[in-house]
Amino acid sequence: MTSPLFERVRGIAENVLKLPGSQITAQSSPETIASWDSVQHLNLILALEQEFGCQFEPEEIDQMNSIDRIHSVVQNKLNHGS
Amino acid sequence: MAISIKSYTEEWIPAVKAFNQRLATGGVPSEFHFPEKDVPSWLPKRDGRRIYQEFYLALEGQEVRGAFILKTQDFSVRGKIQVVAFYHLPISEGIINKRYSSVGVHMLRSATKAAPLLFCLGMGGFDRPLPQMLRAMGWNLHALPFYFRVLHPANFLRQIAPLRQTPGRRFLADLAALTGTGWIGINILQRFHAARHDQFTKTELVGRFGNWADELWERCHSHYMLIACRDSTNLNILYPTNKNFLCLKVTRDKEVLGCVVMLDTKMQNNRYFGCLRVGAIADCLASPENAGTVIQAATRFLEDRGVDLIVSNQSHVAWTEALKSAGFLKGPSNFIVATSKPLSQLIFPFESNQNQLFFMRGDGDGPVNL
Repeated sequence: MTSPLFERVRGIAENVLKLPGSQITAQSSPETIASWDSVQHLNLILALEQEFGCQFEPEEIDQMNSIDRIHSVVQNKLNHGS
Repeated sequence: MAISIKSYTEEWIPAVKAFNQRLATGGVPSEFHFPEKDVPSWLPKRDGRRIYQEFYLALEGQEVRGAFILKTQDFSVRGKIQVVAFYHLPISEGIINKRYSSVGVHMLRSATKAAPLLFCLGMGGFDRPLPQMLRAMGWNLHALPFYFRVLHPANFLRQIAPLRQTPGRRFLADLAALTGTGWIGINILQRFHAARHDQFTKTELVGRFGNWADELWERCHSHYMLIACRDSTNLNILYPTNKNFLCLKVTRDKEVLGCVVMLDTKMQNNRYFGCLRVGAIADCLASPENAGTVIQAATRFLEDRGVDLIVSNQSHVAWTEALKSAGFLKGPSNFIVATSKPLSQLIFPFESNQNQLFFMRGDGDGPVNL
């Protein structure tokens, strides 16, 4: 998965989680990345909101439990407006 | 994972017990487990009360994955009465299973949506996850100043935990206690500040808060930028006569200047206070100009009862000055006040107004831990 949107999401995750992009894959999740705890999850959500100019609903936040899922939620959000 | 936030009702008790069991297995201390009764034992919502607690659960199907409490009450915000909520005891399965890392964010976002004028209190230090999350969400945070006055220095030096964390510190504290140098040093520090006692002030231990408390509240609340309602109804709910609260009415020439709620507790191997007898000024009310008189009255009262140490957390500048004038010393504080963005907007600019807010231990989840 290498769409421009996915790369933007991965870039944000890189910055927030302070990891090189090579360590972040579509399957990366809080269970596979040690530094991805609840605080970093919030920081990631807030960074995504700032980058894409939207606000995620609590129900959307629940779905954002891997990079792949985050990409899907962001894509859906952008397609349907925030 | 689809999480939904629901009110805690009786049918969820087994799921809450299972949640607590998973937390316990994951090493989470019992003090962070969620109540296993759906109706709060402290401040239940009943009888049309305007101060109450509600329990909420974060559910994934039939499983509890998180929970939190909202304590709702009236506040006077710049003199106008508004409903404000206190978000506390948030606990998420994310702390033992990272699959649920998003539950904490979900609960906080949901609570903020349900009650935008929200605050948190306590939390144990800025480095803990909740304060970090609140800061990330743009909340304003500051530590509630902590003050203490030592009445029996030898006991204090032998018992107070922060002074006794290393063998060297323990030796020095014991030496100061044994030789009396600790007594001299602490008294010099405290008396350097202590103001003279107002001999025209009278105090009366009261069982219930009467109409005088309503008059006092009406007279005082607009002096404070943000203060929880302390009328007689709320005070009688918060400090019932069947508990160990010591409620003092302070008067001068028959005029009620203020009131103060205290605790006198003999600690047993407490992690901070060892086995000291600790007096706590848990709650109080007076206009800012009478804060000093009320604090002095409380100090004398607790001193006469024989406590070793008096402690108080206060945010408003008139009350911190009052404590200093009564010979209290400032100590390190990990008791944090955090206000949500909408609440912070009402007290803007926060940085210059934070010492105009009226928060103390009594505004938290109950002064029972003092």
